[in-house]
Amino acid sequence: MTAVEVTGLSKAYDGTKVLEGVSFTVRPGELLAFLGANGSGKSTTLKCVIGLTKPDSGSIRLHGTEVCQLQGAAQVKARSQAAMVFQKIHLVPRRTALDNVCSGGLMRVQGLASTSPAFFPKNLKEEAMACLDRVGLAGSALERAGKLSGGQQQRVAIARALCQRASVLLADEPVSALDPHAAEQVMALLAELAHTENLAVAAVLHQPDLAIRHADRAIGLLKGRIVFDGGTPALTDQVLDTLYAPDRIAA
Amino acid sequence: MSAAPDISRAPAASAPSAALLVRRLPVPKSRRRMARNSFTATAVAILVVLHVIAFNSTGFEPALLVDGAQGMGRFLAESFPPDLDWEKVLKPSLEATLVTLWIGLLGTTLSIPTALLFAAFASETTTPHPLVYQAARAILSFFRAVPDVVFALIFVTAVGLGPFAGVLALICHNTGVMGKLWAEAMEESDQGPVQALSSAGASKLQQTFHASIPLVIPQFVGLLLYRFDVNVRSSLVLGLVGAGGVGLLINQAIKSFQFDQMLTHIIVVLILIVVVDQASALIRRRLAA
Ligand SMILES: Nc1ncnc2c1ncn2[C@@H]1O[C@H](COP(=O)(O)OP(=O)(O)O)[C@@H](O)[C@H]1O
Ligand SMILES: [Mg+2]
Repeated sequence: MTAVEVTGLSKAYDGTKVLEGVSFTVRPGELLAFLGANGSGKSTTLKCVIGLTKPDSGSIRLHGTEVCQLQGAAQVKARSQAAMVFQKIHLVPRRTALDNVCSGGLMRVQGLASTSPAFFPKNLKEEAMACLDRVGLAGSALERAGKLSGGQQQRVAIARALCQRASVLLADEPVSALDPHAAEQVMALLAELAHTENLAVAAVLHQPDLAIRHADRAIGLLKGRIVFDGGTPALTDQVLDTLYAPDRIAA
Repeated sequence: MSAAPDISRAPAASAPSAALLVRRLPVPKSRRRMARNSFTATAVAILVVLHVIAFNSTGFEPALLVDGAQGMGRFLAESFPPDLDWEKVLKPSLEATLVTLWIGLLGTTLSIPTALLFAAFASETTTPHPLVYQAARAILSFFRAVPDVVFALIFVTAVGLGPFAGVLALICHNTGVMGKLWAEAMEESDQGPVQALSSAGASKLQQTFHASIPLVIPQFVGLLLYRFDVNVRSSLVLGLVGAGGVGLLINQAIKSFQFDQMLTHIIVVLILIVVVDQASALIRRRLAA
């Protein structure tokens, strides 16, 4: 079964169409790259899937469950199968890496235990440690997140998504703020999580060469429509020229 | 773009003939500047008119000050030298000043829970409901608008003269001020981590405890220290209306024309304020590091 199945997704802001009939799937075990010029609707697509933006029409299925029609707790539960990784990382800098990772699992904690890291249950902390270990940062568990390097912080954010027990990972320009070496490391980690942990990973990437090197498949967006969907070897210069034409005209 | 001169072709500054190749281009005329100038002129004119009205309404008369200088001189002359009698003046002064400090301390710390609660309700990012938001804002505005001296007068009639009334007064007023400042700090902070937790399925309350509040702890502590500073000074004034502390002694000294005792009290207060000021500056510096 597909992990993410989006059909006929449309969205307009103040009458301006941003997404028009976007349909695609993400399968477990694959790393899918979203490519496209600035403003082509890549972030909006991911935000619709994670629930940070409400689409005007279309259907979004996570492991077969239609999430747009659900309400309240049922929707939160269905949505939490997907986790988001952001360009700006969005950790709480004063808290330790471990506490930040634990906060990914808050959905499973109720009442007083969820008011302070001091009350987090032991099994949550141990699971968070395992997630940190998975991204290679078990040794930095008790360091403040703000003291870590950009690449390490992004890996902590990925560990937070793992602690959420998400089977779908959505990443919006996860490496755009990182230096080339750290970017390479984070992309390799995302590909590895897809291939060995069978996660469905979809990442908006700013650089086509990162997609060609790490992703299995790519989707090209142009002004809110999908104009390319295929294996990364099919990303020819001609395809890329079409995709990034708006950026070149703007410059 | 193509018409612009190519700056990159200009020779390096170290080249001896650089000055000969320096070029100039006319600066484009700004249309906005005219509009801005007439706006500035209007604003200045309005301010001048307001000041004329204000001078007339407050009876601002420098001549009166010159005439009255004699009286003031006598007052100051009687204050010197300060009465440093240990048993009669200095010891009570130190004790009362400490009470003033304790009033300021309790008034600040005991308002933390209420200020935090109202701040969470009155911040757009953490409020559970828009109606709660409106209500919390209104309540905070009320506690802020009523001066602590007025609260002190009310509590003196309820719990009698003394420091307890002062503490209660400061808790009320400080909840209003600190609640507002904290709510604003949370609203102005980066909403990214809040969004991250929300997309991870965390409840609103969990988002507040694990993102909104920890993100602004340094601002919270900074504002708390600032309020402690202000509250210690306020508790002096509260003493003047009978709510305990060294303000009461200053009031008594003035009423009984013992200006030399008044001066002693004022010097002791001055020392307290400088110490509190330095201590809170030190903590804030440590916090920023
Ligand atoms: N909250 C919003 N309100 C109004 N317009 C928006 C909003 N978010 C995005 N847009 C617009 O939608 C278009 C697509 O944005 P986005 O999905 O962020 O593009 P991308 O991530 O591909 O650069 C842009 O033109 C952008 O200006
Ligand atoms: Mg974007």
